Amino acid sequence: MKILAVYSNKGGVGKTATAVNLSYLAAQTGSRTLLCDLDPQGSATYYFRVKPKLKSGAKGFIKGGRRTYKSLKGTDYENLDILPADFSLRKLEISFNEMKRPKKRLKEILSVFSHDYDLIVLDCPVSISILAENIFNAVDYILVPLIPTTLSVLTHKQLLSFCKNKQYDTEKIHTFFSMVDRHKKMHKQYIIKVAKSFSGVLDASIPYLAQIEKMGIHREPVSVFSPGSAASEAYRNLWNKVQKIMI
Amino acid sequence: MCNTIKFSLPGELDTGALISELAAHYSIKKDPVDNRSILIYDTFDWRLFKKSFVLYKSGDKLFLRQLNENEILHRASIKSMPAFIWEFPDGLLKEKLAPILEARILLKLVELEIRSTSYRILNHHEKTVARIAHEEICSSPDNNSPPPSSQLCIYPVRGYLKYSRKIVKLFEERGLQTSKKDDIYFSWLEAAGKKPGSYSTKIDILLTHDMRSDEAAKAVFYFLLRIIRINGENIEKDLDTEFIHDFRVAVRRTCTALGQIKYVFPEEETERFKKDFSSLGKLTGELRDLDIYLLNENIYKEKLSPALRKNINPLFILLKKKRSDALHKVIQGLKSKKYETMLGDWKTFLNKSRNESPEPPNAGCPAIMMARTRIYKKYRGVIKAGYLALGDANDKKLHELRIHCKKLRYLMEFFSSLFPPDKINVLIDQLKKLQDNLGGYNDLCVQEEYLLTITNELSGTGLHLKRTLIAIGSLVETLGRARQSLKDDFTEIFTGFASPENKKIFRELFYNDQQRTVNENTGGLQ
Repeated sequence: MKILAVYSNKGGVGKTATAVNLSYLAAQTGSRTLLCDLDPQGSATYYFRVKPKLKSGAKGFIKGGRRTYKSLKGTDYENLDILPADFSLRKLEISFNEMKRPKKRLKEILSVFSHDYDLIVLDCPVSISILAENIFNAVDYILVPLIPTTLSVLTHKQLLSFCKNKQYDTEKIHTFFSMVDRHKKMHKQYIIKVAKSFSGVLDASIPYLAQIEKMGIHREPVSVFSPGSAASEAYRNLWNKVQKIMI
Repeated sequence: MCNTIKFSLPGELDTGALISELAAHYSIKKDPVDNRSILIYDTFDWRLFKKSFVLYKSGDKLFLRQLNENEILHRASIKSMPAFIWEFPDGLLKEKLAPILEARILLKLVELEIRSTSYRILNHHEKTVARIAHEEICSSPDNNSPPPSSQLCIYPVRGYLKYSRKIVKLFEERGLQTSKKDDIYFSWLEAAGKKPGSYSTKIDILLTHDMRSDEAAKAVFYFLLRIIRINGENIEKDLDTEFIHDFRVAVRRTCTALGQIKYVFPEEETERFKKDFSSLGKLTGELRDLDIYLLNENIYKEKLSPALRKNINPLFILLKKKRSDALHKVIQGLKSKKYETMLGDWKTFLNKSRNESPEPPNAGCPAIMMARTRIYKKYRGVIKAGYLALGDANDKKLHELRIHCKKLRYLMEFFSSLFPPDKINVLIDQLKKLQDNLGGYNDLCVQEEYLLTITNELSGTGLHLKRTLIAIGSLVETLGRARQSLKDDFTEIFTGFASPENKKIFRELFYNDQQRTVNENTGGLQ
């Protein structure tokens, strides 16, 4: 089983849309896939038309073990299940802090799924504290959507520096450009600049497209309601690149 | 990812009406009709069936499920159907199947055509909470098949099981019955004229204690003759390397049985067939040896430093060429009149009723007495040869011990049905460990010698040849180290086999008080 986190320490960069579309595409290849919606806002859960509720809430979740299975929901798609969000997940950071080995709890929680799934995709909330450390300890790959703007790049530098200080393996971190507006000169310039200055930048970018926003109306991955669209094609390309790093 | 519930459908049932009735209770969405082929695969010796697995291909995906279960254990996307395990895409399916399939080819058993009409049950969020599929299973054009059948499948969705439970209840109230046990696998294989598990090289002969020894020996020989025939017919197709392997094992077992189940047939005929089967062993030896080298190609290369790996390729090109020649030689031999006559004579001999006078000394001896006497004597032979090798573990002594072990193992397998399975199987397992050590050692001795000899046949000149020779030299050195490591393990493994505990079980099972009397009377069981 491999674990991929779609993570950013900056909000509004397209994490959830990425997690939803990539987990759908992974399931389509035959991989038994589980999408974990760790974000209390529950957007990924909403996209799959599932009620944002965990049995026993965040408290039950952090205890881990077989009881976590009771919260799993099948999506409308073969091979794809979801561990829904729950509003109580907003207290996850505090709950982790109150436990023993607070930085490795998530790894233990997810380990119970190792025989049932080939891939777990985490849709992570914005965090750069203990939840983030749990994520870094639990996953094999971290996929960071990066908007080609000054602030977004600055935040990414912060992340890399945080990982180095805490001695997390930055090799796990891969980035791709998200919400790219081809008409903006600055976006173009940043893409060239950033691709040179960071390692692990995938040759894939997700354009800023209305089709992606329409996921909220259709409540389906882009490739389901608009399979031939540029947005669908962009996610397919991203998934191909992600698959290559996971081999 | 939950278990499917299947209902067999009586011919007169109107599924449309049933779905309409459901629509009164639930919001239902019909999906486009899906037509797909399912191709079921297994090896020639039913390795997957024996482990209760069903491997099938549908579209560009391979699926593995347990027999009589609907849950898919593993799946993989494929570009084309892999024939051997090394052609599978990396992943859990490959990991699961690798130790089962080993070097065997996958063969298509049967092809089904399924027309599936699916309906999704939706909740108030228009989320799918259960799926229903009406599956009509039809014949594929190229195989015989039972009459088309149809079934109604309910696919529960994880986390929404109450919906599927309600639908099951409703179907049951309408008189439909779940088809829990009859895996479609069996009916379709039967229709295709295939009997799952019908081939196995494992000696499976039921002998009785008071059976005459000549009859017991014949039962063993009939079983082995069938294996020889089946594999002999398939060697020519060259599908995989295991046909020649199974053929050779059956031939070797026949030779051992002729030599070890003593004086149950007239001496002259016994000697003739021993010679005949031994010549079959010689005919096929080179081909099997070359198969082993080629099957080990990647393992050999991994033993070399990366810089040398490419340099050893000329060796494998030469081995492939030699294998092709050796296969040709074997096919010619198996097509020859001599081979046909020999097997024909052997069959006639086995079918012949007893009319020798005087009767061979041990022919009428009870099978249990023959089994005990021969096995116990061979066991003592193994122990004696083993202690000789312990004192001075030279290649010759280890080779002799290996041959003793092989004979003992075959004898125990021939007669295993006469003894309590739990006890004899423990001893066979212990013996197998010793054989693995000795067999591995012998293989490495042979391989080292062969690799050094074959250098004379390598073509090419100059630098390329020199590099190939360096790579072979390096490989021989690595094999030598592996051989030494096996030799180092020998003392511990043999001492384990020769332990007082094992000796006690051997004595309990195979020593008989009448042994001396029988030996004296027959003069043959020594």
